[in-house]
Amino acid sequence: MYGWIGRYLRIDLGSGTVRKEVITPDLARKYLGGRGLGTHFMMTEVDPKVDPLSPQNKLIFAAGPLCGTNAPSASHYDVISKGPLNGTIAASSSGGLFGPMLKYAGYDMIILEGKSAKPVYLWICDDVVEIRDAAEIWGKTVPETTEAIRSATDEEASVACIGPAGERLVLFANVMNECGRAAGRSGVGAVMGSKNLKAIAVRGTGAVRVPDPKAFREAVVKASAKIKANSVGGKGLKNYGTDVLVNILNELGGLPTRNFLDGYFPTADKVGGESLAKQLLIRPRGCYACIISCGRATKVTNPKFAGQGEGPEYETAWAFGPDCGIDDLDAVTKANYICNDYGMDTITMGSSVACAMNLFENGVITTKDTDGIALNFGDAEAMVELVRKTAEGEGFGKKLALGSYRMAESYGHPEYSMTCKKQEMPAYDPRAIQGIGLNFATGNRGGCHVRGYTISPEVLGQPVKLDPRVTEGKPALDITFQDLTAALDSSGMCLFTTFGLGAEDLAELLSAATGLNITTEEFMKIGARIWNLERLFNLKAGLSALDDKLPERLTKEPILTGPSKGLVNRIDEMLPEYYKLRGWDSAGIPTKNTLADLGL
Amino acid sequence: MKITVRAFADYREFIGKEMELIVPEEKTIGELLAELGDRYPKLRSEMFTPTGELKDFINIFINGRNIAFLKDMATPLTDGDIIALFPPVAGG
Ligand code: SF4
Repeated sequence: MYGWIGRYLRIDLGSGTVRKEVITPDLARKYLGGRGLGTHFMMTEVDPKVDPLSPQNKLIFAAGPLCGTNAPSASHYDVISKGPLNGTIAASSSGGLFGPMLKYAGYDMIILEGKSAKPVYLWICDDVVEIRDAAEIWGKTVPETTEAIRSATDEEASVACIGPAGERLVLFANVMNECGRAAGRSGVGAVMGSKNLKAIAVRGTGAVRVPDPKAFREAVVKASAKIKANSVGGKGLKNYGTDVLVNILNELGGLPTRNFLDGYFPTADKVGGESLAKQLLIRPRGCYACIISCGRATKVTNPKFAGQGEGPEYETAWAFGPDCGIDDLDAVTKANYICNDYGMDTITMGSSVACAMNLFENGVITTKDTDGIALNFGDAEAMVELVRKTAEGEGFGKKLALGSYRMAESYGHPEYSMTCKKQEMPAYDPRAIQGIGLNFATGNRGGCHVRGYTISPEVLGQPVKLDPRVTEGKPALDITFQDLTAALDSSGMCLFTTFGLGAEDLAELLSAATGLNITTEEFMKIGARIWNLERLFNLKAGLSALDDKLPERLTKEPILTGPSKGLVNRIDEMLPEYYKLRGWDSAGIPTKNTLADLGL
Repeated sequence: MKITVRAFADYREFIGKEMELIVPEEKTIGELLAELGDRYPKLRSEMFTPTGELKDFINIFINGRNIAFLKDMATPLTDGDIIALFPPVAGG
């Protein structure tokens, strides 16, 4: 096979057996790799009703056929499992070097089963696969773990690991690789912790084969030129990082503020990309083969919040900033560093703090619940302290470790949790931007922006400008973005390439890498297949159409101030059409015809 | 009338973060941008093609609404308007 290696590892952590198995060409073409292939194995091998933190759940690391090639930003892999935060099918994507290294070592994927009796880590160096004792690194932070494993194995190894939060089963613990890149959402790091697996270190010396290197190079040059000509390849992301979005969302009145009580934050600029570039940026950082370099290497010198590391990204700056009513960039960045070091998703962490602040200000919880800390919106020190407590598993931090939904529910008020399917929404207010609201509500892993980034046309005007306040046409738009993203995640590319590349470009790259003739239509159909398969997993896990909704706050309580004052989300105008266009019945279940058409 | 102009990302290097303009007579956003372009040629060359067309992926908001959904360059300005100028940006 070209593009794919055609081989994967199946490791039973309980018995310690390691098997090398083969991926058939048919299966590879049907699901590509990454998210798609991983979901296929979850669906066929795991009962969707399984307890996510039990040994019966599986944890899959999977790269796609383009990952590790010279295609631009072809660095991404996915971690697939049943997520403990909300019980949906989880697939979290990350860049860095881990995915390419896995391919160079000779594997498209690793399926991890069972549970090790004691802490271990995996060392993979080409054909050699070892399960090693991790007693000495258990309890260590992400940078400490990475360093310790590299010195015990190979300084060139890529290390994907959990921090203490994953060990402690924080429900939104993530998997970090290269210290600063995260498979961030849905708690895949807690699944890893539940298996007593601290890390996977991999070093590969092979390569990804393509059928016609010259033709592939031509396709790569063409795609790179398209990305460079687009905004994503321009100065914006490199100079300011993803945090450049703070101001455009705020000027639109779509920046969720104080746990979504409002959609406008007057001092948002203080945590925006322009301020970040001026105050904290050391240099931009990129993943493997990236021509964009959106990552931020930063340093905070303010003694109160001093530290050094990566970030913040836009979502992070928002979650610890405006969503908590905070405009202190040093504090926001410090909270980000703690999350990176301990291995926690910044969106769920920040949104859970915001939810706690909302509960506190409304008198639902008091200092008796919060270890004596007054939790008022805007209190940067309290916010950082709560993040630290969650990371360390201390007092009220144990409540926050459950995510905002379970925490608010435990006080009898789940409606304070700004989640869809119990996963926290990211930094776009669905009251100001209708299409993204539908996307959050229908997202297969709950509130999430990287399952269909309609912000691109609705706010950023790419590839065309679409009115964010209109509901008409949004169901079709959401479906196109969802399917495109599912296929892209499965091919091994970074999502940001879609700012410059459309389905036809991606299909062309994929064809050049695999030697197959994958048309634009087939590419999009693969995406639809994966989306429907994820839907089936969730339905079997017990979710239903009742879960395709937004928090009531967004449909009943209008934005209070700013340019979008008075607006609510009108999901009822969109959801029935979405089901229809998806080929689902009115209960949100894919019809027989739809499944047959997709080969499911 | 008083108009506030806010600039973001690279545009701040050309015209600063924010300025207030007192505009004596009625004007469209297109006319105002043409005048700004006279004062700040770098801003003009970044925003417009040599034939005066707005370049791709540039967003201009008046009070939070993209002018693409108003009357584009013919959108009239009113007292107190806040104009926001964004070069092409991406992220997520
Ligand atoms: S655009 Fe950012 S996330 Fe994507 S590959 Fe490049 S550096 Fe990594």
